[in-house]
Amino acid sequence: MKPLIATAVFAILMMFAALTVKEKKSFTHFAAILMLGLVGLNVWELADYNRLLASAQASPDLFGKMLRVDNYALWFNVLMSSCSFFYILLVGRSIEKVGVHVGEYYALHFFILCGVFLLSTYNNLLILFLGIEILSIPQYILSGSDKRNLKSSEASLKYFLMGAFSTGILLMGIVLLYGAMGTFDIHGFNFYATGTLNIMGVVGVLFMLVALGFKVSAAPMHFWTPDVYDGSPTPFTAFMATIVKVSVFFAFMRLFMEGFANLDPYWKVTVLGTITVLTLLIGNITAVYQQSVKRMLAYSSIAQAGFMMFVVIGSNAMAMKGMIIYAVAYTLATVGIFGVLLKLKDYTYDGFNGLAKKHPFLALIASICLMSLAGIPLTAGFFAKWFVIAAALEQPGTFWLVIFALVMAAVSLYYYFKVIMAMYFKTGEPELITPVTTMDKVVMAIIGSAVIVFGIAPDMLLAWI
Amino acid sequence: MTQLVYLVPLFPLIGFLLNGLFWKSMPKKLAGIIGSTAILASFAVSLGIFFEVKNGAAAGQGIVHLFDFITVGNFKIPFAFMVDQLSAMFLLIITGIGFLIHLYSTSYMHDDEGFTKYFAYLNLFVFFMLLLVLGANYVVMFIGWEGVGLASYLLIGFWYKNKEYTNASKKAFVMNRIGDLGFLIGMMLTVYHFGTLSYNDFFAQLQGGIGAQTQNGYMIGSGMTNAIAICFFIGAMGKSAQIPLYTWLPDAMAGPTPVSALIHAATMVTAGIYMIARSNALFNLAPMAQNMIAIIGLATVLLAASIALKQNDIKKVLAYSTVSQLGYMFLALGVGAYVGSLFHVMTHAFFKALLFLGSGSVIHAMSGEQDMRKMGGLGKYMPITKFTFLIGCLAISGFPFFSGFFSKDEILAAAYAKNPMFYYLGLLGAMMTTFYMFRAYFYTFTGNFRGTEEQKHHVHESPATMTIPLIILAILSLVGGLVGLPEVFSHHHLLNEYLSPVVQNFDIHHLDHTMELTLMGIASAIVLIMMYVARVITRKEQFGEAKGLAKVLENKWYVDEIYDFLIVRPLAWKARILNNIVEQKGIDGGVNGLGQLVQWGSTRLKNLQSGQVGSYLFAMVIGIIIIFAIGIFGLLYM
Repeated sequence: MKPLIATAVFAILMMFAALTVKEKKSFTHFAAILMLGLVGLNVWELADYNRLLASAQASPDLFGKMLRVDNYALWFNVLMSSCSFFYILLVGRSIEKVGVHVGEYYALHFFILCGVFLLSTYNNLLILFLGIEILSIPQYILSGSDKRNLKSSEASLKYFLMGAFSTGILLMGIVLLYGAMGTFDIHGFNFYATGTLNIMGVVGVLFMLVALGFKVSAAPMHFWTPDVYDGSPTPFTAFMATIVKVSVFFAFMRLFMEGFANLDPYWKVTVLGTITVLTLLIGNITAVYQQSVKRMLAYSSIAQAGFMMFVVIGSNAMAMKGMIIYAVAYTLATVGIFGVLLKLKDYTYDGFNGLAKKHPFLALIASICLMSLAGIPLTAGFFAKWFVIAAALEQPGTFWLVIFALVMAAVSLYYYFKVIMAMYFKTGEPELITPVTTMDKVVMAIIGSAVIVFGIAPDMLLAWI
Repeated sequence: MTQLVYLVPLFPLIGFLLNGLFWKSMPKKLAGIIGSTAILASFAVSLGIFFEVKNGAAAGQGIVHLFDFITVGNFKIPFAFMVDQLSAMFLLIITGIGFLIHLYSTSYMHDDEGFTKYFAYLNLFVFFMLLLVLGANYVVMFIGWEGVGLASYLLIGFWYKNKEYTNASKKAFVMNRIGDLGFLIGMMLTVYHFGTLSYNDFFAQLQGGIGAQTQNGYMIGSGMTNAIAICFFIGAMGKSAQIPLYTWLPDAMAGPTPVSALIHAATMVTAGIYMIARSNALFNLAPMAQNMIAIIGLATVLLAASIALKQNDIKKVLAYSTVSQLGYMFLALGVGAYVGSLFHVMTHAFFKALLFLGSGSVIHAMSGEQDMRKMGGLGKYMPITKFTFLIGCLAISGFPFFSGFFSKDEILAAAYAKNPMFYYLGLLGAMMTTFYMFRAYFYTFTGNFRGTEEQKHHVHESPATMTIPLIILAILSLVGGLVGLPEVFSHHHLLNEYLSPVVQNFDIHHLDHTMELTLMGIASAIVLIMMYVARVITRKEQFGEAKGLAKVLENKWYVDEIYDFLIVRPLAWKARILNNIVEQKGIDGGVNGLGQLVQWGSTRLKNLQSGQVGSYLFAMVIGIIIIFAIGIFGLLYM
């Protein structure tokens, strides 16, 4: 578990650096180097694990069965740390502008990644709880980091209040499950141990569902999302909406796939389907009306969560593939579009008017990312949607759910293409607040081409599982 | 050599890419060299393949699998080539004549500003044409089929600044699309019933004959085979210009003359014949479709020949004669004389390319003039063109012992065996052919010059790069018929023996020798008589206003006008109604209404987002209660 330990160590290193280093820029460089090291450690871990497993020297269970590592989870960690690396390269300059405590901001990012790695490998509900909390508390701070901005403080407080509410529910669920099953081990759950259905266990499942649904902003637990995403400093919104969200989804899927495997599939589809329909409906329909692209992206992240609910519904081999592809496609595209957004002064649709004339490269990258989010073929987003839908279709009674999701995907074209239309077909004088550096261009080009390459050969992402 | 077959289409593709991508910087000379060399290289490989195939290799053995193109479940469409006697023969025709025409074009198009573009398109055409004949399944054939349609479209409209020319190219494209739809439907029916599009697999299933079981569990019935065959024939109709889809071909003469020679005479238009000959296993099981092909072919022969009688544009005469000769090939296919049809494809490729290139030489000398009324007496100035053109005329008329004589004779004999009426009508067509060809010859090369002084001053024999192809094609037109001597003269019908592993004539009674000789005699006599008639009529050189039937012929039986009245206008009328009412009110209204509904919903839902944590928590709790209700009630149904 080298990367897990490394995240905590790196975070502490960043905090120490914050005491001594004065130059803001060096924090970004330091964080980028540490993040690259983290990617390396993850790759090493993945290779090492395979080597040890081959020689039967390693067991998948770690720390007294608290964690369970497998290729799948380790590969997910590699991908997430790589995405974080590109994230830092792309938005580092903007993070420096949020406030004075740049070192601390990066430290918090590493703490979040610590939570991410716990969530991808947990084998015990206690670790799930720990992971969720380690993941959430830095977010409360990050969203309030622009202290002089009232909206930022409001976002922080709202997030914290409602987060505390959901933590309560999560604990309630864990307690009920423990009471019903007598274990925290997610592989030890059997809802039919006594021959009949364990009702208390099912109630626990519902509590867990609500709490995790809150974290991934599934309706009707999504109310915090637009306010928090909109109020938080934009670079942190980008992180919260991508890496954090997909990691919680990863945990969510594992809980349902491994922990609640022997629940009735019809029942699971009914309950999860209700949430999915609501999430898709509210996310997509409300996004249509937004005037600010940032707020639209907040709703779009709710809508995308609706699609990612399909991996939880699917909970099968196909869903595991879909999870990986969706995570990468969604993260890359969202980071990319936030990268462009951060360059602009005006976050409304009008702010994008005429961008293609003045900064064709930015407009191109934004278009690729938006098309991927909308799921246009030849972008990664298309296969992401394809895989999760295919996974869901393997479960009974999901046909109409899928049709509904496709209709909602059609609605999403409206608000994504509104941005593209503004960039290409309207005239205006978009103003940049920071110049586009060569570094930005390189990272954007990598993200844009990755979106397209994975849209042609999504199998590349599945090489390790 | 067979394994290297992918080289054959590869060379023209490279030529296309080089000329197409670097057209701005490419010097003219180099463009011509690249274009011609690519085809010459393909020809060399094709020759090697031909000799290898000729000396053995049974049918269906020469499948060269390149990669899997489409894989859906168990249904696979490989990108594979089929190298056998039939495709090898077409390879030779395409690359051989193709090379001569490329060579000719280097001079003919010399002064054109789009020279490089022209060679890029021409190579693209050859590439797709090779795909068409090489494909080992209908999908690869279809790729080529559409590709040649595209190349043809580009080349007909090559001088795109002229509105009429672009209209002609559009017409060709649309007409072809109508046929293509038939072909596509035929392919879909095939997949549905037989579960395959690969020739070998498909034909093997057809071997069972009527009543056998297909791979997909259907019983082969004559309804099924006729339906598929007719659909395929509709595809062939478009590409090979048969009634009712023939009107694009005469208009296609808008393109440069070498293009007319290569695409609209020698190669592309015979694609339909290739397709039917390739699918002979299917057509043998579809008697109704065969009858239809024979009758439509014959009708096309007569209609096109009659129109050609009164045309004054030298290229139009040749265009209608092409349509009419294609009709003969379909007549042969319809009566089951596949070999005769392919024989005529070959000889026709020789003499029609020759005639077109000859007319090109004339047009070149006349600085672009195509109207025969303004020509006359050109023979003195351009002897090689005159002489080779004469050979072409004799060959197409079926003058004894020229190539057209043998191939046409074979078709007519087979038609006679099937139904004497076919023979008599075919003979009528041959009569008209002789007349209009010699009318064109005499008007062009003999008599007095009728053009302007300036044109007269300019008339000259064409350069060697143009006359050499003419001479080679003339020799081929002269001796090309020897590969298919009729039984009266020789027991070895070389073409028949060569093609026999792939294509065999179907259900043809052999005529006895006296009968066959009599038929030949009649045909020869008619050629001589009609040549004389043509001489007598053309001597007058009067071009008055046409009256009566002549006027109808000059106006091509008003077919274009009839199509316009019967099809185009009602369609346009319906399109207007659909556009104004269904599209704008119905569909647009529906879509916009939906959009408005979404926006309305959006404003409502937005109000839920009040900004108050208290109300959020309240809404959340309500939501959670609903989820619990669904979850707990859901248990009752578990």
